[in-house]
Amino acid sequence: MMETHNNSGIRDRQPLSNARLGILILLGAETMLFSGLIGTFLVFRVGNVTWPPPSHIGIELPRAVTGINTALLLLSGYTMFQARRAIQKDLVKQLHKWLLLTGVLGLLFLGIQGSEWGQLIGKGLTLQSGVYGGIFYVLIGCHAVHVLSAVIWLFIVFGMALKGRFSAARYVGVDTCTIYWIFVVALWPILYVLVYLF
Amino acid sequence: MLQWLPENVSTFGQGVDNLFHAIYWLTLIVFVLVMGTLIVFLIKYRHQEGKKADYIEGSTTLEIIWTAATTVIVFVLAMFSYPQWNNIKSPTQFPENPDVVVQVNGKQFNWDMTYPGPDNEFGTDDDLELENELHVPVNAVVHIRLTAEDVIHSFFVPQLRLKQDALPNRFIDVWFEATKAGRYEIPCAELCGFGHSGMLGYLNVHTQNDYDAWVQERWPQ
Amino acid sequence: MHDNEHSSHHEESFISKYIFSLDHKMIGKQFLIYGLIMLFVGGGLALLFRWQLAYPERPLPIIGASPQYLEEGEVVTGADRMWERIYESEQEEWLEVNMPNGVVEPAFYNMLFTMHATIMVFFVVVPILVGAFGNFLIPLMIGTRDMAFPILNMLSFWLAVLAAIVMTIGFFVPGGHAAAGWTGYAPLSSDPQWTGVDWGQNLWAISLLIQGFSSLVGSINYITTIINMRAPGMTFFRLPLVIWSLFIVAILLLLAFPVLSSALALLIFDRLAGTTFFTATAEGGGDPLLWQHLFWFFGHPEVYILILPGMGIASELVAVFSRKPIFGYRSMVYAMIAIAFLGWIVWGHHMFQSGMRPGLGSVFMTTTMLIAVPSAIKTFNWLGTMFRGSIRFTAPMLHAIAFVSMFVIGGLSGIYMANTPVDIFIHDTYYIVAHIHYVVFGGSLFAMFGGIIFWFPKMYGRHMNDVLSKIHFWLTFIAFNCTFFPMHILGVGGHMRRISNPMQYEFLQQFEGMNIFITMSAFTLGFAQLILVFNFFWSMYRGKVAEKNPWHVNTLEWEAPTPVPHGNFGQIPTVYRGPYEYSVPGEESDWIPQADPEHAPATSGD
Ligand code: HEA
Ligand code: HEA
Ligand code: CUA
Ligand SMILES: [Cu+2]
Repeated sequence: MMETHNNSGIRDRQPLSNARLGILILLGAETMLFSGLIGTFLVFRVGNVTWPPPSHIGIELPRAVTGINTALLLLSGYTMFQARRAIQKDLVKQLHKWLLLTGVLGLLFLGIQGSEWGQLIGKGLTLQSGVYGGIFYVLIGCHAVHVLSAVIWLFIVFGMALKGRFSAARYVGVDTCTIYWIFVVALWPILYVLVYLF
Repeated sequence: MLQWLPENVSTFGQGVDNLFHAIYWLTLIVFVLVMGTLIVFLIKYRHQEGKKADYIEGSTTLEIIWTAATTVIVFVLAMFSYPQWNNIKSPTQFPENPDVVVQVNGKQFNWDMTYPGPDNEFGTDDDLELENELHVPVNAVVHIRLTAEDVIHSFFVPQLRLKQDALPNRFIDVWFEATKAGRYEIPCAELCGFGHSGMLGYLNVHTQNDYDAWVQERWPQ
Repeated sequence: MHDNEHSSHHEESFISKYIFSLDHKMIGKQFLIYGLIMLFVGGGLALLFRWQLAYPERPLPIIGASPQYLEEGEVVTGADRMWERIYESEQEEWLEVNMPNGVVEPAFYNMLFTMHATIMVFFVVVPILVGAFGNFLIPLMIGTRDMAFPILNMLSFWLAVLAAIVMTIGFFVPGGHAAAGWTGYAPLSSDPQWTGVDWGQNLWAISLLIQGFSSLVGSINYITTIINMRAPGMTFFRLPLVIWSLFIVAILLLLAFPVLSSALALLIFDRLAGTTFFTATAEGGGDPLLWQHLFWFFGHPEVYILILPGMGIASELVAVFSRKPIFGYRSMVYAMIAIAFLGWIVWGHHMFQSGMRPGLGSVFMTTTMLIAVPSAIKTFNWLGTMFRGSIRFTAPMLHAIAFVSMFVIGGLSGIYMANTPVDIFIHDTYYIVAHIHYVVFGGSLFAMFGGIIFWFPKMYGRHMNDVLSKIHFWLTFIAFNCTFFPMHILGVGGHMRRISNPMQYEFLQQFEGMNIFITMSAFTLGFAQLILVFNFFWSMYRGKVAEKNPWHVNTLEWEAPTPVPHGNFGQIPTVYRGPYEYSVPGEESDWIPQADPEHAPATSGD
């Protein structure tokens, strides 16, 4: 697709390439998807005088561990940003390092969250325990699926990077993945505050 | 067209009908104007040999005029509607001290009417439950606690100009004052399953004497 | 520039040319055919349930059992024999469950109108207006060779087909298809015990999720293409209005559909995983109104998705066939943006009687009625465009005129419903049904017909037959009004929607004759569409061969050769002026193409 507009002679007018623009537009849709779910959460949260509802007293969401997890994810946003910086300066080795670090942080985040879920289910908080459990797993789970797909995408990019596909002149693949990654990372603190702290 | 409206038998119904008529005339006039202009244009400016169209790019003045006119009409209409709406639907503006209080419970596919009985309290021994028959006196304020058992239903009495959805696990207050004795149908207006068509109750508006007699019969003192 | 190597001459196999085509024009045509097929399915369902409304409990013609068979069990017709066989067979036959003796069962009735609306909205109007016209027109009219992401484009079409297949399977699963209305109100839709519908509702939700992906991919493509790939000189304010409308619609689709997706996901969890998001229970349960808020937050922008491309098409047609510039081009653009924007803050007008706080009702009434303002601008500017024009009554123009007048009727009936006190009475009556069809049939479908006839020469290199087009137009126009106008009267009489047998109500018995009349008209309307289909396919092979620019239009798609080759243009055109330079004073011809370098300096459009 890059070629198509090359020969139409209008490339110089584009501030953003098609791929980058496309990803940004996709984020609009993602935002609305999460708005729907967050809206649902808020309806239940505000509609219930006591939260968690009386039937769930005794089940505490792991705020502290998740707080640390939040920090890990934010850190991965930083490392991803560094990866992009590296390739902009044509530092391919650096790119590999930062990408790998980001991927590991992402996996770590997922792992910690997974173990938390295991504990919560053990304590009796399941998808079926009223809207409290339901919206918790659906909203947080929806984000987790996004993290997972971002991680998969990242490792694809990593693989491409190992094959030497990127350079300072050509790094759209890194860029689009970065945009998506940053979105997923930036979304999390909002969810953390709303679901765990609010 | 509006002669097809069912006869109105509630105190607030006239207000609804008046608005209905007002909008009817408003939209009729707008419609006739727009269509009239359109037809005149179509005839007058049809293609004729040797005649070229005029090059007109627009007119800011005209556009401001019709934007402003529509805005004004819309806001005036809204101003007249707020009080009517609040009068019918806002619980804070209901007439106080109702003469009759009934709980109406929609369920697949019937209306359950529950009267609190002489002690005026629900959930006691003297409650009376009737299926699909609601009895009220004429010219009296009736409060209905509307709820549903399974899915959403909608309490609709065309002659009262009253419609309100009934939600499971929630009570919604509705009021009306009927002005004419008679027997009116209470269809369910919200899709509620295969029996939705035909989910039908009756509102019996009695004269005060008849109503007293009916009460006597149910709760002999 | 090495433009020419791109054009037509690479050999393609049948599969890569017609099936998995990456060419935007072929994808557009695929969407068109697909939408037309679904139109017949959706319309056929409507005719089925219209029969039941006119003659409740009476067997359908042709496939229904004869009176003799019903009364005495005597087999007289072929249909009787079929029923005999069905009743004798051991299994529960599909027909036996849904239409014993050819009488539409109440549960089946619910399923019919649910699927009628679902198919019409998601599988007819959106695929044709957005999918077909969007794909075909955007690259051509902005002057580029293809969409930004051709592969995603193909994906978008095949996802839509997949969605339609999943939706169709639903008809044949045990328990029947979704029967909770196209609005799928919970808890009726969220708990199988209330309807007996089992996988039907799940497939309905899954199909719409897939459809959501299809729209998502499509709209990313449209937006990117329009922002990034316009021909040199094609500034935003030189875009034809139909491209503006598709651009705005793509943004609406992009932002609206994910909200529906979130609601559908929650619905599926409720049905399959035992959550209670939409079921109120005493213990930590959910809220049935939540579904309505989510659905309508998507739903109202959705109805503007259905109408905006129609407005765009009508604008093109009115300008071209009045041989005049659009009256107030910029305010037409701003009005569409205003409609799209206001569309987000009016969803509560579907919920006035739902138990939502009455105070909110007043707010939503105000915002809703405000939409009359940009709509007024659009309407009067169309009139202004015809004013002192030189109007040609071609078949596309007739459709455009019908669009304008029917949209006004549908829009004005919207004002009744937007008015909270009046809505108390007409909510959930046929008044709403009349409104729906005046805007979606009178609006979207007429624009669609007009657009098909107008762009047919570019699509297939031939003209549609003019006489047949006009017969189709007049029959459709008259039958349409006979079908849907009386529904206003039914609504004023209090006739509820979604009831399978009006004769069960005393106050509705007076409407029996009117219901029969409506059904007759609906059948006429349905059969009138056969003319369109015949004309369409016949003209594809036998129509009059079209020149490059038969209607004398300024916009870029007519610069491309007919039939349009792969890559569209030999040389990417340069744009010198706005799209509506018709009848410019002092010019000999009454049109100046956008790409015509003569006649500069540009007169307007900047
Ligand atoms: C293409 C689709 C489309 C369009 C364009 C519209 C446009 C409008 N709709 Fe409609 N609507 C639907 C499709 C559409 N609708 C559907 C499908 C439903 C039913 C859903 C269901 O329940 O199944 C529905 C339901 C619906 C309801 C809910 C009714 C109920 O269930 O009780 C309401 C209530 O306010 C409403 C209002 C409006 C308004 C105010 C407009 C406005 O945009 C109209 C604006 C246009 C004009 C006003 C005309 C032109 C203007 C002039 C000529 C200027 C002069 C005018 C004045 C001074 C007033 N619509
Ligand atoms: C784009 C949208 C669209 C379109 C085009 C139509 C077209 C038609 N609609 Fe539809 N309708 C809706 C959208 C639409 N509708 C919606 C959203 C609802 C609300 C649903 C709900 O309550 O949930 C609704 C509801 C609705 C009802 C109310 C049902 C009820 O509440 O009980 C009725 C009743 O008459 C009706 C009738 C018709 C008719 C007669 C047509 C005609 O125009 C159709 C004409 C026929 C054809 C164009 C096809 C030609 C077919 C043949 C020639 C037959 C041969 C083919 C076969 C047998 C397969 N519709
Ligand atoms: Cu109860 Cu419809
Ligand atoms: Cu709406």
